[in-house]
Amino acid sequence: MAERFSAFSFVDRITSLEPGVRAAGRYWVPGAIAQFPPSLVAEAVGQLAAWASMSQLNFRFRPVAGLAGEALFMRDAAPGQTLDLEVAIERCDEEAISYGGAASVSGARILTLKDCVGPMLPMEEFDAPEAVRADFDVLRGAGAPAGRFQGVSPREVAVIERVPGERLRAELRVPEAAPFFGDHFPRRPVFPGTLLLDTQIGLAVQLAGEAAPLRDAGVLAPVRVSDVKMRAFISPGQVLELRLELQSATPKGATISITARANGKPVSTGRADIAPRRPS
Amino acid sequence: MQQEISKEEIAAVYPKVAQIIADALGLETVDVKPAAPLIEELGAESIDFLDLVFRLERAFGVKIPRGKIVEDARGDLGESDFEQKGVLTEVGNKRLREFLSEVPAERFKTPMKSADIPKLFTPETFCKVVIRAQRAAQAAA
Repeated sequence: MAERFSAFSFVDRITSLEPGVRAAGRYWVPGAIAQFPPSLVAEAVGQLAAWASMSQLNFRFRPVAGLAGEALFMRDAAPGQTLDLEVAIERCDEEAISYGGAASVSGARILTLKDCVGPMLPMEEFDAPEAVRADFDVLRGAGAPAGRFQGVSPREVAVIERVPGERLRAELRVPEAAPFFGDHFPRRPVFPGTLLLDTQIGLAVQLAGEAAPLRDAGVLAPVRVSDVKMRAFISPGQVLELRLELQSATPKGATISITARANGKPVSTGRADIAPRRPS
Repeated sequence: MQQEISKEEIAAVYPKVAQIIADALGLETVDVKPAAPLIEELGAESIDFLDLVFRLERAFGVKIPRGKIVEDARGDLGESDFEQKGVLTEVGNKRLREFLSEVPAERFKTPMKSADIPKLFTPETFCKVVIRAQRAAQAAA
């Protein structure tokens, strides 16, 4: 499958690995894509943690998105830049991996991840263990070819209800087919939680910009997401209801609760802090 | 045999445990009652238990190994003496009732599937988990 190990893979090389303790790696953001959102930088760090845990558990299990205690976004990653990724593993066993991590560009930190937990599931459900092991060997050796990621199409979002500066409800139609499903995951397509988060952050920026204290604040950007919890897998073609509610707003920034529901039940919950973009 | 856990010990950790449960489940602390079943009354799912255990570990500086509650309930009983084909034996059921003494007797089913054990857990259950983990840490020090 052409998408496998390319369409949604964000580690090009694992440069160091201390099993069960820490790992470091690199990812070159393809120069040809329009943008590389902060949630995909977080995805890259999460994928490095996933590689470290899968190799530690001999490719019998793989982690999936579960909890992210806190992600702090300092700066965007621009196409053409190289991300230096690192993870510190707190615990890793057949139940879950818990870890923290970071991404930097040219020595400057652009993202910090804290208190993340990925529940482990049997690898066989998602991919062929031997194929994953072979990919891991590539990453530990010369590295995977750079520039495999071709970007993702904008998601199909329709606003259902908008009370400016207070709350927003929207419908997200997960595509039936997309290249990333071939990589995430080859045996079981799952809509990536970080693409959901990217969609939610986009709406949160809109909602924050309508709040009175931030109406004239210029360009807004995410600075933090916290207590993100993925409660269920999101499948191709699923329709999600996204709910965003402003919790607080000052001229320094806004906090917005973000929830995604499917069939009336929450599939993900969290909070986003949006603030005026700092000069870079 | 494990040392009994006193009401005073539970009361000492309860406020922090209740706050952590409220944070993990997105509830107000007042909604968390000591005897409220986490799954049926507070709406907890499996990811919430994982979240809860990691939050408790961080907040109390203890380690709570996977499957700790069931393992401690089983104690010195052999696995097949405790459960068979996913169902608790009569002895296993009795052990569990003694171990989860905070859970009213009518909430234990007979026969009871092992997979249903988490349905019994309450905030008080997790207070006891924390206290046992603290004791284990002190014993290891």
